[in-house]
Amino acid sequence: MFEHLNPALPTPLYAQLAERLRAAIAANDLAPGDALPSVRQLAGRLRLNPGTVVQAYRDLERAGLVELRQGSGTYVRELAGERRAAEQAAVSGRLANEMLERAVGLGLSGDDLLNALRSALRGERP
Amino acid sequence: MIDGMQVLDAIQARGLSYRVEGFALSNFNLTVPGGAVYGFLGPNGAGKTTTIRLLLGLLRPEGGSIKVLGRAVPTDVVRVLRRVGYVPERPHLYLELTVAESIRFHSAFHERYDRAGSDKLVSRFGLPPDRRLSQLSKGELGKLMILQALAQRPDLLVLDEPTDGLDPVVRRDALATILEYVSDTGATVLISSHLVHELERFCDWVGVLDQGSMIAELPMHEFKSGLKRLRVSAGAATADAPFSVLAREAAGVGSEVWTVRGWEPAMSSWFGASHPLKEVVDLDLEEAFVELLRSSRAPVREVA
Repeated sequence: MFEHLNPALPTPLYAQLAERLRAAIAANDLAPGDALPSVRQLAGRLRLNPGTVVQAYRDLERAGLVELRQGSGTYVRELAGERRAAEQAAVSGRLANEMLERAVGLGLSGDDLLNALRSALRGERP
Repeated sequence: MIDGMQVLDAIQARGLSYRVEGFALSNFNLTVPGGAVYGFLGPNGAGKTTTIRLLLGLLRPEGGSIKVLGRAVPTDVVRVLRRVGYVPERPHLYLELTVAESIRFHSAFHERYDRAGSDKLVSRFGLPPDRRLSQLSKGELGKLMILQALAQRPDLLVLDEPTDGLDPVVRRDALATILEYVSDTGATVLISSHLVHELERFCDWVGVLDQGSMIAELPMHEFKSGLKRLRVSAGAATADAPFSVLAREAAGVGSEVWTVRGWEPAMSSWFGASHPLKEVVDLDLEEAFVELLRSSRAPVREVA
């Protein structure tokens, strides 16, 4: 879930990390009560500044998705059904915007992208 | 590192100058805020190692003042060095000792030396305790130097090209270990490297040295913010642009590539219909670094 964090993107690394975790929480890959890796573990494993990990976790805490328990760690909170759906919609929305921006940058239209997405959903390979 | 916390500068050098035959460091400032992970960048021969040796009192500056962890260098250097873990560019360990002997030897000099921690690192790094240092591979020796520096439990870690010449797996291990230490202790790190992409993920400050002068020193996010490469229709004028143009080159038929700083998305409307903007590409740290060196060495090159 943490692969391909890319420092060259304009989105800061902490926001990229928070986004991965949001998606995992929304998809229930990280279930309520699950502990997030410790700041130390994640900083070491991803070779990130510990401050970057702390910032991502604070972001999720502010969004009400995790709770920081003093001296123990960071845990995923219980999410109401509609909140989970809203999170999933928000993550998908941001992903769609990113794809659209890149497509436009390459001179493609939104319809081009939509058609490509439809055929991808049908399992067709380009 | 932690916001809202007031921290003293871990390193403060003012008006630093130093000269040897054929090379000079000319009157520059360097500031490493407490708790920062500071990437000290510059091409080979820029003066990074000389600067580090000055900061640690191993060379005497010709002019200027240096404070490390709040104390004057070189006056108070012995007390400073007790709190500094230093990994020099070249091995500084006695090569006839074994790994275990080397650790015992070093631990005698440092009151905070963490024997339990160093034992853990010996096994994590897979170092053979009974082998002489002269028989270790370059990667093993590199790991041992990092182990020695961390086992001192330093408040400031100074790493001079710590991963140069190490294979990617060893590099990852070494960097992970350093970042775990930072996470545990909040220690300040100054790490010099010409492997720019390696520093991009974890440094929060950048200093760029070129030809003996500091040409940029700022937080990483500022260094990278608004640095873009634009693909533009040929012939657009750069005068009165709301961003600064670092470099400008012809790119194929009817196109130019501009490297710019201070870019914001809203600025795309500055390009008129006659010379439209075709593409905006993000630059990574390495590219930003190269463009910075180019623009500091030569003014913007206009397209012929």
